[in-house]
Amino acid sequence: MSTPSAGASGISPARPATGDEPVGTTAPRSNLGELIFAGLALALGIFVFAGAFAIRLPGAGTQVGPRVFPFLVGTILIVSAAAVLVGVLRGRLADVEEGEDVDAHAKTDWITLAKITVFVAAHIALIEVIGWPFAAAVLFGGVAWSLGAKRWWAALLIGLALGLVVYVLFGGVLGLSLPSGPLLTWLEPLLRSLRG
Amino acid sequence: MENILSLLEGFATALQPQYLIFGFLGVLVGTAVGVLPGIGPAMTVALLLPLTYTLDPTAALITFAGIYYGGMYGGSTTSILLNTPGESASIVTALEGNKMAKLGRGAAALATAAIGSFVAGTIATIGLTLLAPIIAKWAVQLAPADYVALMVVAFITVGALLGSSVWRGLTSLGIGLFLGLIGTEILSGQQRYTFGLLPLADGIDIVLVAVGLFAVGETFYVASRMRHGPIALVPVTRGWRSWMTKDDWRRSWKPWLRGTAIGFPIGTIPAGGADVATFLSYASEKKLSKRKEQFGRGAIEGVAGPEAANNAAAAGVLVPLLTLGLPTTATAAIILSAFQSYGIQPGPQLFTNQPALVWALIASLYIGNVMLLVLNLPLVGIWVKLLQIPRPYLYAGILTFAALGAYAVNFSIVDIVILLFIGIVGYFLRRYGYPIAPLVIGMILGPMAEAQLRRALQLSQGDLGALFTRPFAAICYLALIVIIGLGVWLRHRQSRLERTLAAAAAANTSLSAAVNQAWDAGDRPTDIRTSDIRVQPPLEETPRARGSRRRDDDRP
Repeated sequence: MSTPSAGASGISPARPATGDEPVGTTAPRSNLGELIFAGLALALGIFVFAGAFAIRLPGAGTQVGPRVFPFLVGTILIVSAAAVLVGVLRGRLADVEEGEDVDAHAKTDWITLAKITVFVAAHIALIEVIGWPFAAAVLFGGVAWSLGAKRWWAALLIGLALGLVVYVLFGGVLGLSLPSGPLLTWLEPLLRSLRG
Repeated sequence: MENILSLLEGFATALQPQYLIFGFLGVLVGTAVGVLPGIGPAMTVALLLPLTYTLDPTAALITFAGIYYGGMYGGSTTSILLNTPGESASIVTALEGNKMAKLGRGAAALATAAIGSFVAGTIATIGLTLLAPIIAKWAVQLAPADYVALMVVAFITVGALLGSSVWRGLTSLGIGLFLGLIGTEILSGQQRYTFGLLPLADGIDIVLVAVGLFAVGETFYVASRMRHGPIALVPVTRGWRSWMTKDDWRRSWKPWLRGTAIGFPIGTIPAGGADVATFLSYASEKKLSKRKEQFGRGAIEGVAGPEAANNAAAAGVLVPLLTLGLPTTATAAIILSAFQSYGIQPGPQLFTNQPALVWALIASLYIGNVMLLVLNLPLVGIWVKLLQIPRPYLYAGILTFAALGAYAVNFSIVDIVILLFIGIVGYFLRRYGYPIAPLVIGMILGPMAEAQLRRALQLSQGDLGALFTRPFAAICYLALIVIIGLGVWLRHRQSRLERTLAAAAAANTSLSAAVNQAWDAGDRPTDIRTSDIRVQPPLEETPRARGSRRRDDDRP
C-alpha cells in the first residue's frame, strides 16, 4: 500500500483510517451556511420570477415580450436552487475547492477575512481624501499584514512604492489621472506635461 | 487562396513594431498570471479591459490574445514545480509533471510542456486559420432559432456538465443570467431589476463581476484557509542545455500530435473547456503507452499529451468565439465583451466586416506562440522566481490591482463598493462549491440569448415548435443529448481519477507517504521489501528445492 499503484486502483481499503482523510470525511461540517446560501439563491429566483410581472408589456405586435426571459431565468434559479437545497438536506455537501495556496483541511479564518474587508473599506474611504497612492499603500500593507507578512512596515513601503509607480504610469503614459491627494498635487502638472 | 493573402496581410499588420510590443506584453503578462496561483487569464483580461480603452481595438485584442495563450503556457510551470495540489484544470499535468520534477527530471517536464504547447498551439492555429472562414461563411445562413439552440447547448454544457455538481452549476448560471438582465431592456427601453438605482440603469459592468469573482473572491477564499509555511517548490536541476534527451523527444512527439488532435475539436464544440480535453488526452496516452507502469510515477507522455491538448483546445475555443460569437469558457466570454466594448460583434459577419482586425489577430497568435516558446524555455528561471513571491504580498498585490481595475472603469468609488460586494458573494460561491465560469458566461451570453430567442419567436409568430424544426437546431439538440450522455460517462471516469488522486494525497499524510516523498517508485527501500514478501511464500513452500546459494542471496 505504500506504492502509488495501490492508490491508483481506487481508494485502497487496506489503508488504515488516520483521521486525516481527504475532503468530505473530515470533521462533520455544518451545513447551515450551505442551506442559507442555497436558500438565498432560491429567494433570488422567486424575486426574479415575481419581479417579471412588474415589467411593462409594450402592447400588441410583439410575440415575445420583455417578460419571457426573466420568467425563464427565475425558473432556472428556483428549480436548481431547490435541487441544491434538497441535496444539502440529504447530506450531499459541496466539495471543498482546492488551490495551490489553499489548505483544504484548515478551518475558516473569519478574523483574517474581517481584517481584509476592513482594509478594502478603508481604501474606499481614503482614496479621495489622501490620494490613490497612499490609499493603495494602506490596502496593500494592510492585506499583506492580515495574511501574515512578517514586517508590516515593509509591506506598507512596498505598497507605497507600488502605488506611486502605478500613479505615475497611469497619469503619464495612459492618460488616466488617479486622485493625487493633498500631498501630491504638485505632481499633476508634471504628469500632464509628460503626456505632451 | 484569398485566405492566405488575408493572413499575409494580417502578418504585415501584426509585425508592425507597436503591435509586436503589445503582443509581447500580452504573452509576458499572460505567462506571469498563468504561473502565479490565484489569478488567471479571465481575471487579467477583465482587469486590463478598462485600461485599454485608450488603445485601438487591434492593439487591445492582440494583447488579450497574448494573455490568453500565455496563461495556458504558464499554468504548466506551476503545476510541475509547485508541490501542492492545484486546480482541476492542471491536475493531470501535475500528476505526471510533478512526479518527474521530484525525480530530478523537472527540466524535461517543463521542456516537453513548452514545446508541446508550441506544437499544439501552432497546429491548432493553422486549424483555426483554415476552419474559421469556412464556418463563418456557412454560419451566415444560421437563423435566430439556430443561435438559440447553440446557446442552449453552451449553457447546459458549461453550467451543468463542467462543474462538480449539476445543480450548483445551473444555480451559478441562473445568477449570471439574472445579472445580465439588470439594466435597460433594448426593445421597450424600460429598466428591469434596477430598483430605480441610476448606476444600475446601464447594467453591471462585466469588469466588476469578473474581477470581483475571480480576484477578490479568490483572495478571500485563500485568506480564509491559507497554507502557511514555506512554499514547497520542487528544485529543478541545472543544465538547461539538455532539456530533453533523444528518448524524451521520441516519447513526446506522438503525444503532442495526439493531444492536438483531441484538444482542437473539443475546443471548437460548445462542450469545450480544456479540462475535458486534457483528461481525455491523459487517458488515451495511458491506454496507448507501452510503459503503463510509469504512469502516476512521472511518465513524460502524461505531460506532453495533456499540455498539447490544453493549448489546442484554447485555440479551438477561438473558432466558435470568432465565427459565431459564442464563448465557451470564462476567458472567451470576457474577450467577447472586450470586442463588444469596442463596438465589434464577433460572429459570421466579423470576417467580412473587420477582415484586417481578425487576420491581424490570427497572425498575432502565430507570433505569440513563437514568443512564448522563447519565454518559457530559456527564461523559465524567471518564472520560477515569480512562484517564490511570499503569498501575503502576492494576494495583497492581487487585491490592490483588483481595486484599481474596478476604480478605473468609471473613476467612481461606488464601483469598488460593488466590487467588494461581488467579491464577498464570490467567496461564498467558492466556499459552497458553485463554479464561477457558468456565472460569467451566463451574464455575457444571456442578453444575446434573449435577443435571439425573441427574434426567433418573432419570425415564427410565437410558434415554439419553430425553435426545434430547423435542421441545424435539431442537430444541436440531438448533439446535446449525446453530450449529456457522454458527460455523465466522462464525469464518472473523471471522478474515479480524482478519487485516486485524493487517495494519493491523503496517503501523503501517513508515514509511508514520507517515504513516497523522499524516494520515488522503484527506488524506495519499502518497495524492495514488498517485492521480497511476494517472493518469499514459494520459498517457504519449497525451501529445499532451491539451492543454498539462492537463500544466501535473500539474506540481508
